[in-house]
Amino acid sequence: MRLGSLENLRSQLLEVTLALVVGFVGGAIALTAFGHNALENIQVMISYGFRDLGYLLLKSAPIVLAALAFLVPLKAGLFNIGGEGQLYAGAITALLLSKVGFYLAIPAGALAGLLVGVAIGLLRVVRGVNEVVSSIMFNLTLYYLSMFAIQRYLLDPVYTHQSIRVDRVLSLPEVVAVMLLFPLAVYLLLYNTELGYRIRVAGSSSRVARYAGVNLNIVTIQSMAMGGFLAGLGGAIQVYGVTSVVDTTLSSLYGLGFLGIGVALIARGNPLAVIPAAILVSGLLIGSHWMELRGRVAPELADVVIGVVILALSAPYAYRVLTSRMGWGVGGG
Amino acid sequence: MVVDSYDILLYLAFASITYMTPVLLASLGEIIVERSGVVNIGVEGLLLASAFAATLVAIVTGNPLLGFASGALVGLLAGLIHGVLAVYLRADQIIAGLAFNMVAYGLTVMGLVSIWKHHGASPRVGVSLEEIEVAGYYVNPVSLASIALAILAWYTLTKTRVGLALRACGEDPRAAEAMGVDVSRYRVAATSIGGLLAGIGGAFLALEVVGQFTRGISAGRGFIALANVAFSGWNPLLAVPGAYIFGFLEALSIYMQQWALGYEYVARTLPYIGTLLVVTVFAWKAIVPRSLAKPYVKE
Amino acid sequence: MKGITKVYPDGVIALRDVDFEVYEGEIHALLGENGAGKTTLMRILYGEIRPTGGEVWVWGERVEFRSPRDALAKGISMVYQNFTLIPNFTVLDNIYLAVSSTMRVSREEVVGRLQMLMGELNFKIPLEATVEELPVGLQQKVEILKALVMGARILILDEPTSVLSPLESRALFELLRSLKAKGVTIILITHKLREVKSVADRVTVLRRGRVVGVFNVGEVSERDLARLMVGSDVVVENRGVEGVRGGVALSVEDLRVRDDRGLLRVKGVTFNVRYGEIVGIAGVQGSGQKELIEAIVGLRPVERGRVLIDGLDVTGYGVGERRRMGLAYIPDSRGEGLALTMSLTENSVIGLLERFLGRLNSVRWGLAEGYAGGVVRDFNVVHRSLWDPVLYLSGGNQQRLMVGREISANPRIIVVHEPTQGLDIASSNLVRSKLLELKRRGSAVLLASSDVDEVLGLSDRILVMFDGRIVGEGAPGDFDEEKLGLLMGGFVEAR
Repeated sequence: MRLGSLENLRSQLLEVTLALVVGFVGGAIALTAFGHNALENIQVMISYGFRDLGYLLLKSAPIVLAALAFLVPLKAGLFNIGGEGQLYAGAITALLLSKVGFYLAIPAGALAGLLVGVAIGLLRVVRGVNEVVSSIMFNLTLYYLSMFAIQRYLLDPVYTHQSIRVDRVLSLPEVVAVMLLFPLAVYLLLYNTELGYRIRVAGSSSRVARYAGVNLNIVTIQSMAMGGFLAGLGGAIQVYGVTSVVDTTLSSLYGLGFLGIGVALIARGNPLAVIPAAILVSGLLIGSHWMELRGRVAPELADVVIGVVILALSAPYAYRVLTSRMGWGVGGG
Repeated sequence: MVVDSYDILLYLAFASITYMTPVLLASLGEIIVERSGVVNIGVEGLLLASAFAATLVAIVTGNPLLGFASGALVGLLAGLIHGVLAVYLRADQIIAGLAFNMVAYGLTVMGLVSIWKHHGASPRVGVSLEEIEVAGYYVNPVSLASIALAILAWYTLTKTRVGLALRACGEDPRAAEAMGVDVSRYRVAATSIGGLLAGIGGAFLALEVVGQFTRGISAGRGFIALANVAFSGWNPLLAVPGAYIFGFLEALSIYMQQWALGYEYVARTLPYIGTLLVVTVFAWKAIVPRSLAKPYVKE
Repeated sequence: MKGITKVYPDGVIALRDVDFEVYEGEIHALLGENGAGKTTLMRILYGEIRPTGGEVWVWGERVEFRSPRDALAKGISMVYQNFTLIPNFTVLDNIYLAVSSTMRVSREEVVGRLQMLMGELNFKIPLEATVEELPVGLQQKVEILKALVMGARILILDEPTSVLSPLESRALFELLRSLKAKGVTIILITHKLREVKSVADRVTVLRRGRVVGVFNVGEVSERDLARLMVGSDVVVENRGVEGVRGGVALSVEDLRVRDDRGLLRVKGVTFNVRYGEIVGIAGVQGSGQKELIEAIVGLRPVERGRVLIDGLDVTGYGVGERRRMGLAYIPDSRGEGLALTMSLTENSVIGLLERFLGRLNSVRWGLAEGYAGGVVRDFNVVHRSLWDPVLYLSGGNQQRLMVGREISANPRIIVVHEPTQGLDIASSNLVRSKLLELKRRGSAVLLASSDVDEVLGLSDRILVMFDGRIVGEGAPGDFDEEKLGLLMGGFVEAR
């Protein structure tokens, strides 16, 4: 098993750390610009975010899955921005079938996500529709349809601002098992199986993929199916493990898909690194809600910080220029 | 009854002109950007940021023109930043665009909460531009200007030397550079102008369409603009009917929400399902600028 | 150019203290083998690259070019091997764009100047045609016209004949002589000795980044030049390795193939390749070899005709299936044969993965690593770690890796397209000897190369291809240089 040389690992860690610093600086600037005390608020965010370990892990699990949902198609050269929609589909389907039982509802949610993913993949393969555009259209459509479904079919008769409850809430060990199992499974798939190899070749270059006899169309559908499956599962886990209900404004589901994308990027495309990255991002998220309580700052500060981190990570060349100027040799052109 | 439906159709037809404007402006901007070989997925965030800026300035100064100007300025700056990231720092353009969307969303909501103490919407702007009367209906001057801009953009791209050089950057930057075209500068200029246009679109969205800034006001319009860019074959003239189709879908959706009680949410999906259908059905293999989204490295 | 040195960030020293001098109005050849540094030196002169050390003087003035635009301003223009023309723009658009970057002109003025030049130089090109429609020889003329319209006084040509048929090459040299008569100074980058002798006044020889000699062409022999270029007497190809001719391995019947744009590029080709023989296809680039090869390998659909492997009709089979039948393929482009972001090991098993699978379709990386180790050892691929991305390797090493992994698999049939491109003479000889060894062990080899000497030297049988057809067939000894040149150039003999 090889994850690249140790030197490479060190350089990536440095890159991520630097990006995090830049992200926090960005957040601080935003806070100050809107008239808040930057230091105080960020301190709250960081200190409160990581306090409750159990809650932290629970919240990370769906994000891990959402990250993997972006990561697998990425390896095939596709941008699965549709994680949001696939996640909603998974959550709502799980809710719909919760009367039957969690053993059916959760896989059904994953399946729902898979179907959405396949739809996006098919559109690309058959009609050449760019997956970024179709993903967003699906996201927005499923957003409204989900709210419609809750309002019409899944409304709690007593608490009318939220949906019905699920039959059984998953326990922490169960959720953690999922959180650890799937990244490992994805890692083994990508780096130790023939399918994973074909996916990565397809993602490296479409010309080489043809040369190697890899059918790009099939790989597209396969990777989008897997991505959808993972995101749908994430939605189901969010409902069954974290919130047990979904409110009518979908606020507990909104943004998870995009956070997953961020986590996948912070993890530099490594399935195993998704776990710590998701925990980090979850902590920031939880912290931002505490910050809202105490400082009356919108929790969307977390979006700003994470967004700036991703921006910083999107320009590795800048990092290389910076470090070579500072004299830190990081090897390899 | 026939008169009724004719009236409704006419009303929708004119309303569509207003609704199409933000998408058209964003599409025009992005066509220029993509013809130069860069992709800016951050158009969505651009619309958000410029809408916010325009609302803020318009409320504070009471002058819609200043609102438009600030929206344009914010768009210009954001476009410039994306250009620098893409060209000089060789960032992954798609990821940088997505990240920008996230940052813009976060910043605008923060602003909403911090400035106006509200989680959903700003106060109503209250002032807007004087509309022009056409056959009993009202059309916004900016809408007409955007159509004129489309024609101007087409002419510049196809008939002038600057347009030729810009297209060269998108087709074959290596050849363009060897012919003496400063590809980097053209690309950054293109992203800046693209941002400027989208910025005007965002300002229009806030000031003229909605009348205030709401959380997530762009509602996918940036991505619809991206779809329109491909749908129009990177041709500014064709971007107009494309944007109009979207505008019509949105007008229709809003109209339907009025009488499809209980199904409002479903009606709201109309523009998106519509866009998806249009893009799927009309998926001709347009002439993509060959070097789209690939950073050009000089040595 | 005095004392020019160029060191790349990864440590490669491309040029070492090179002095290069050109007189006005002469045709000066810059001779050297692949990788000697000729193109690098000229790119410095053209302002594309900055030297790490040394000075450049033009017309007696010290200059420091920051970009080609500066060089153009001084009247220096360069025509590259892969043209810097925008394929789907018209000829006029391309030239107008280039000219208007350095001076203010109108389209009409450009048209006027072009027509005048075409008249003076006695050839005509349709200005409204798109560049990609034109044959390669004409595209090159467009490049030269472009340079002249921009007022080039010094014209640098980088391996111009690599894409031309012998006939077109002769026409080019005529053109160069006319230009010289008009007072244009020409620098000709080449590795072909014959060219130096036929058209140049003086020659500078580069080897491994250093100048090893400067001569008046009349005073030096081809052998001397060859020796200086390589450092020893050039080993004359000895392909007298006899193999046992076996049954028919690969067969092509009346094949018609279209390219991506729908143009018919292979117009009824029939031939076969037996086990234990090397069949070589000689032809100028663009004669249809690429499409023919892609059809044989399974990367391009066939419009009419059949492809047979071991007598079995495989015309409908995909690449993977053909490979499983024992077919290997070395493409002419590394961008096609190597996944640059993946490691050496992973690239070594592309196309061969079935051999390295274990239970449950898992990949046995240990085994793959072993194979990769063998490839890099046998083919001298200089590398740091087998798990580094291939993109860290230099072009030559990448080529050797790609060639090596196909050959090391001991395929029964191998199709090879431009195997030694970008390789220095030592590596080229290595690759050729490996191909001969494959043949000796009974494999069937189909070789296509624009290097005529390579084809002549390696093949047991030669097919000459022009414009999608086989226009000549026979043993290498049947063809002399002139006959070959004519066939490649499309002049079919009256039978």
